[in-house]
Amino acid sequence: MMLLELKNINLPQGDFNLQVSQLGLQAGQLYVLKGENGSGKSTLLRLLALLQQPTAGDVIFAGLSVAWRGRTLKQLRQRITLLEQSPLLFSGSVEKNLAFGLKLRGISGCDLQQRIDQTLEIVGLNGFQKRLARELSGGEIRRVALARALCLQPQMLLLDEPTANLDVGQVAALERFLVRLPQQGMTVVIASHDSGQPERLGGETITLANGHLIPNGSESPAAPRTPDLKVV
Amino acid sequence: MGYLSDSLLTAIELILSFDLEVRMTVWTSLYTSSTAIVIAALLGVPIGLWLGLSRFRGRQLAITLLNTLMALPTVVVGLLLFGLLSRQGPLGPLGLLFTPWAMIAGQAVLATPIVANLVLAAVAGADNRIINTALTLGASQFQAALQLLREIRFGVMAAVIAGFGRVIAEVGVAMMLGGNIRNSTRTMTTAIALETSKGEFAFGLALGMVLMSVALLVNLGLNVLQQR
Repeated sequence: MMLLELKNINLPQGDFNLQVSQLGLQAGQLYVLKGENGSGKSTLLRLLALLQQPTAGDVIFAGLSVAWRGRTLKQLRQRITLLEQSPLLFSGSVEKNLAFGLKLRGISGCDLQQRIDQTLEIVGLNGFQKRLARELSGGEIRRVALARALCLQPQMLLLDEPTANLDVGQVAALERFLVRLPQQGMTVVIASHDSGQPERLGGETITLANGHLIPNGSESPAAPRTPDLKVV
Repeated sequence: MGYLSDSLLTAIELILSFDLEVRMTVWTSLYTSSTAIVIAALLGVPIGLWLGLSRFRGRQLAITLLNTLMALPTVVVGLLLFGLLSRQGPLGPLGLLFTPWAMIAGQAVLATPIVANLVLAAVAGADNRIINTALTLGASQFQAALQLLREIRFGVMAAVIAGFGRVIAEVGVAMMLGGNIRNSTRTMTTAIALETSKGEFAFGLALGMVLMSVALLVNLGLNVLQQR
């Protein structure tokens, strides 16, 4: 089943345009979004998260064309969660951070506490409920942000470079966890410039260069945005 | 030197003996300024938040206007509101002139631009990921703005305290709109001006010491918040 479709998208961003003529994301599928720095990966993720409205084109979520305003937009956003490359935790405790999105979905009481506890256990942060966000290390912040996204059980989870700055062991553990999510019906899109990650994660690969989708299997047609450095 | 030290001793005696007139004057000041700052916060915080988050044509002009209003002389506010509230003015029938409510209105006009401007600065200085993070977790634009407000709460509190510091120490509005009526609209600042001109230096000094203590407490609070 098609979960999200992009048609004839044009989204200007800085010095380039993100242009996608057609892209479809299936429910319960894992996608790895490849591309160099500045190729438009983060912009595409923000578009998929319905945070940035394109100047042209259609975004179709679960068969419905996205109207970029009002209650419907909020309801659609509640089915998608984006974990940014440098995630931000709100001030206060870890528990309060995880509770934020759950409360917005009307989850409270025992259900809320249970989801928080279970998700923190998944990311290996059991017992962190009362810890303050400002006391956490960089790695812990990323894991809490991941837990905050996971506990919402979104239909589509978008991750921008989730393994950046993690050590090898942490990367392997996270990748093992992520590949299991589509089996639960979740669509997962992972932006990465780790060349080995598409192979390790499996799933489909989406390649971006200079704001354009590159068809799978074709040679990289786009010139790099910055010249390669040469050691003399 | 004897005059100064004698006056200082009398002033301390007046404060320690909880002199009724000193108490009434201090109460009027605190009551009018506190009410005014609550009104100013209710107006200024949303204005600052809205200006900080929205992008529209004329926004820069609105910010410049707000900056200008921050430096509004108290006597000008007093004069304008006097025109509105005096018997011949459009709001004359309400009979508010020379009541604490007239002073509250004037002080709220003075403090609102200060609160709005400082909240605007706090929004501008906030992490620009707060709104997007809240949105991606399922918040509406309004809920995301409320979350931003929670994140910059110390800046907002500092804005409110700075506004309070401005209104508790002003004379022009209290004098022109309150009329300095004993046991009704006499504030610490207007009483200091009046009593000193009457030669009651010790009484003025006593009120001056209380006013300085309030200002000191306000600034201590402001410093604590700014360091967080």
